[in-house]
Amino acid sequence: MISIRSLRKRYGGVDALSDCDLEIAGPGIYGLIGPNGAGKTTLFDVITGLTEPDSGSVLVEGRDVTGLSPHRLAKLGIARSFQECRVFPEFSCLENLLFGARGTRDEALRLLELVNLHGYRDEPAAELSFGQRRLLEIVATFMLKPRILLLDEPASGVNPALLELLLEFIRRMYDERPCLFLVVEHNMEFVMALAAEIIVMHQGAVLERGTPEAVQASPRVMEAYLG
Amino acid sequence: MLSAVLEQTVNGLMAGSVYVLVALGMVLIYGVMHVLNFAHGVLLMVGAYVCHFFFTRVTESYVLAILLSVIVLAILGIALERAVFRPLHGNLRNQVIASLGLILVFEHLVIAVWGPNALQMKVPATAALVPIGELRFPLQHLLVIGVTLAVVLALFFFLKVSKFGTAIRATSQDRMAAMVVGIPVERIDWMTFGLGTALAALGGALIGPLFLVFPQMGDAPMVKGLAGILLGGMGSVPGAVIGGFIIGIAESVSTLFLPTDYRDSVAFTVMILILLAWPRGLFGVRVRGED
Amino acid sequence: MPARIALALLLAALFLFPFIAEKQPYLLHVLILCCLYAIPAVGLNLMLGYTGLVSLGHMAFAGVGAYTAAVLMVDARLGFWLALLAGVLAAGAAGAAIGAICLRFRTHFFMIVTLAFGLMLYSVMNNWDEVTRGAAGFPGIPRPAPLGGFTFGPLPNFYYLALAAAATAFAVQWLVVRSEFGRVLVALRQDERLAQAKGVNAMLYKTAIFALGSAIAGLGGVLHVSFLRVAAPATFSLAESINAVLIVIVGGAGSLAGPALGALVFVGLPEYLRVAAEWRLVVFGILLVLIMLFAPRGLAGLAAHAWARVRA
Repeated sequence: MISIRSLRKRYGGVDALSDCDLEIAGPGIYGLIGPNGAGKTTLFDVITGLTEPDSGSVLVEGRDVTGLSPHRLAKLGIARSFQECRVFPEFSCLENLLFGARGTRDEALRLLELVNLHGYRDEPAAELSFGQRRLLEIVATFMLKPRILLLDEPASGVNPALLELLLEFIRRMYDERPCLFLVVEHNMEFVMALAAEIIVMHQGAVLERGTPEAVQASPRVMEAYLG
Repeated sequence: MLSAVLEQTVNGLMAGSVYVLVALGMVLIYGVMHVLNFAHGVLLMVGAYVCHFFFTRVTESYVLAILLSVIVLAILGIALERAVFRPLHGNLRNQVIASLGLILVFEHLVIAVWGPNALQMKVPATAALVPIGELRFPLQHLLVIGVTLAVVLALFFFLKVSKFGTAIRATSQDRMAAMVVGIPVERIDWMTFGLGTALAALGGALIGPLFLVFPQMGDAPMVKGLAGILLGGMGSVPGAVIGGFIIGIAESVSTLFLPTDYRDSVAFTVMILILLAWPRGLFGVRVRGED
Repeated sequence: MPARIALALLLAALFLFPFIAEKQPYLLHVLILCCLYAIPAVGLNLMLGYTGLVSLGHMAFAGVGAYTAAVLMVDARLGFWLALLAGVLAAGAAGAAIGAICLRFRTHFFMIVTLAFGLMLYSVMNNWDEVTRGAAGFPGIPRPAPLGGFTFGPLPNFYYLALAAAATAFAVQWLVVRSEFGRVLVALRQDERLAQAKGVNAMLYKTAIFALGSAIAGLGGVLHVSFLRVAAPATFSLAESINAVLIVIVGGAGSLAGPALGALVFVGLPEYLRVAAEWRLVVFGILLVLIMLFAPRGLAGLAAHAWARVRA
């Protein structure tokens, strides 16, 4: 479904991505972890068109999408959430969900219900707490009915009470409409519980991938984090 | 032909000096506060008027008049920072619009008080002509260039070495980090604003004797100073200096082969062309929080 | 619906005004100027208020429209109405072309580049003597040609034209704002990157609104010079562009009534108070600063706030 081939990206003197190769064949929830500076966000930025790689390519279902602009990629079915959590502050929750969405109003209301935001549907998003905004942001990405969904640290900043809700929600969305979820996370507990397969990045390339148990037991991964 | 080029180069250095003074003030303020102060041109103009006032009413010494006007404007700048820009901290659009409001206030205040006509500021001491090669330049021209270069050097030295200067640099690079380290950023804000305004006032005081003192005199230097900063790179002090001089010289030299009426457009065209190629300017510094 | 009733009453009052104020051509003159300032303000409101594009060269596009029409009417002997259309289209085209360049830059840079283009266009108006007649101005611009027996020489008649043009501009604004296109613009103002991540081609939308805003400015420009019977560069200078920003902001950026309120205050109030021109602008400058500090949503915002409190 998505093919990343020999991506390279250099910032200043640092290789953010160094001959990065990754192949994911079909739908599933994949966790993307790695120590700071491993290149996870850069990879996301390249896939979603925010950055152009120095070399290499990104293929989605066989089609080369490298270097396309963000809005074209969005139209091709690649959606993302942002590390800093972006919603339209003046739009209401409902309006946020309906913007650019492929779903219907009823679907939006149902989703709001699922994350306990139905009562806020007409409130401006700026009025929500950070955790609520995070939920709103992710719900909005589902409304786009993407083929590939990139979640950039969805758990960060969310208080533990809402984390359970978030986890359940993402799982449920996957069950309803399986596609490719790629989730960057630092919260190990969260991502290990959520993902079926974990991909570990280190120094700009993929180090290892496997089930959560396998990755957690891997000495190479341990070394990457500690070394 | 060569002497014509030389003549225009010196003219360009002089015009560029004024742009540099304006640009320096704006770039320092931008670096520290992320405010683009469009009102900087009117502050140059007010500086010229205040200098004129001191020179014709208070003292016979041009140097003293300059000093006094610089001090007065620095105080005005500090007042503006505290009353207008500080409360709007973080909101770029509103700060820019507020600075547009200040342009209206000062430009028309000056007209209301001094009238719309230009004033003359004759400084006999600097009217003498200085020969360079075959050409002669008024001493004032060279004074402007000389003072500006001296100020630029002093500023570089100051920013590198002094405690205040280092604090300015730190705050420009990373406000949060500066706060964590204990730098009193709010104090740096108004002091930098005062410093920037003082530089603008100096520019006004220096060109007053050259070209009349009139309400719109700050408009073109402001815009050209802006062009200089963009050219050199938004957060960069050396960029502002080089950018300002490039604009000044390009503009003056262009009069050799383009109709003088379109002189102003040269600066902008140069600026836009360079930005299209290097969107961050020649020495573009990636200032945090942009985008 | 109180808003609709109020609007209807207002329009009725405006329509009947020449009959009520028969002996006071001065008031008609003021109202005409209000309309002529409000029209470009509508264009700028769409750009600045709704889309978040702070253009500091807006009035230069009004100038493009005005001078295009002037040249067509006087040199090419084209009729007023065709020249008006041409002026509006020329302004829109200039907006599209120049906008495409300016919009490649973000925030600060965008503002400065629009300012620079505004100054460059002004320089052309001021110096291209063969075509624009330069700094002295372009005289001999006719009032609009009669429409079905209705001439526009007399003041009340021109007033109706100005009113109709202003109403058209406001109608266009309303249509844009309530459309899907308008929704996208508001999204772009809030978070452009997010809008792009949802499939919005930001550049396309921004260029489109820049062109539309400029075309509307062109409409105001043509009418303005037809009213004065002369086109002068000073009408389209940087100072006037700043005034346009002032009108939009004071009136209330991003609100439908904003341009009307702003124009009324800008033109009407000092005429009413009989203040000297210099002091008027000092007051406006202070007003602008105060509004930024204390009432960023302008007069429309204050009115909405007051209305909400009255209802509560």
